[in-house]
Amino acid sequence: MAKTYQVTIRNSGRTIACAANQTILQAAIGAGIDYPYACATGNCATCISKLEDGKVSLLPHGDACLTKAQIASGLTLSCRARPRSDVTVNWLARSGS
Amino acid sequence: MARKSDVAAQRARACKALMTQVHAITAKEGINPSTLHAIKLKLEALARRKELFPAADFALPVAQGRNYPLLVEEGDGLGLYLNVALPGKEAAPHDHGIWCATAAVSGREKHEFYRRTDDGRTPGSAAVTKVGEVLVQPGHGMVMADHDIHATTVVGDKPMVALSLYGYALVRFPSVAWYHPQFKSVRTTQSRRHAQNVGA
Repeated sequence: MAKTYQVTIRNSGRTIACAANQTILQAAIGAGIDYPYACATGNCATCISKLEDGKVSLLPHGDACLTKAQIASGLTLSCRARPRSDVTVNWLARSGS
Repeated sequence: MARKSDVAAQRARACKALMTQVHAITAKEGINPSTLHAIKLKLEALARRKELFPAADFALPVAQGRNYPLLVEEGDGLGLYLNVALPGKEAAPHDHGIWCATAAVSGREKHEFYRRTDDGRTPGSAAVTKVGEVLVQPGHGMVMADHDIHATTVVGDKPMVALSLYGYALVRFPSVAWYHPQFKSVRTTQSRRHAQNVGA
């Protein structure tokens, strides 16, 4: 069974459980949080977020959606990010469905 | 051994020739299943010319997933790209509103095709069901019509290097609708290119 971490989503003011083999977006949607997203597979950057605290590992994504410079500045894609510690994120966009 | 500039010139000529052939096909018969198949065969033939698409020209080691324009027309013309993506790179089921063909230079990519099954009356909600699957690899391409829905995943342990030809250039895509069976949702992005400026 995968290890579980605590993910705080600052915009929603909630802290949820997220398994190590789950993305932050999957956990958030599963918890009923209206996290902004579109492709959910690292191709559009709608879910781009500030990683305020903690560590994540990233699944493959489009280079244009999250550059190395953006990663270095503390941004991440919640649809590609799996927690490797307890983390705090803050989404930058607003959902448009 | 061919010089880099020679290869680039040969590649440009080959791409231009492909575009001319595709225009000839569509001018005569438009876009239909038969002409889409013919376009796929032309694209597969170009992809077989691996010497025109050397890794050194396309930053393969560092690309997670990237499109390199080869010859992109202005306006609502065709868009021809070399796509590079690492193993595991995926795209959820999506409809980019315009036909496309893909042919592999190297690597393998699974394309799964879906059909929308709900009535579309609930904003943001959608149901899709898988209706087919194709493994794109050298010699075996893929073609899909306007508003077909497909999902992609690079499989195996090598990067996928492929040629993709779209009925519009990527910058001219009217929108992309993304379907998520696990969330029972649909979300729309206006253009793939909008992402380049987010958070920059």
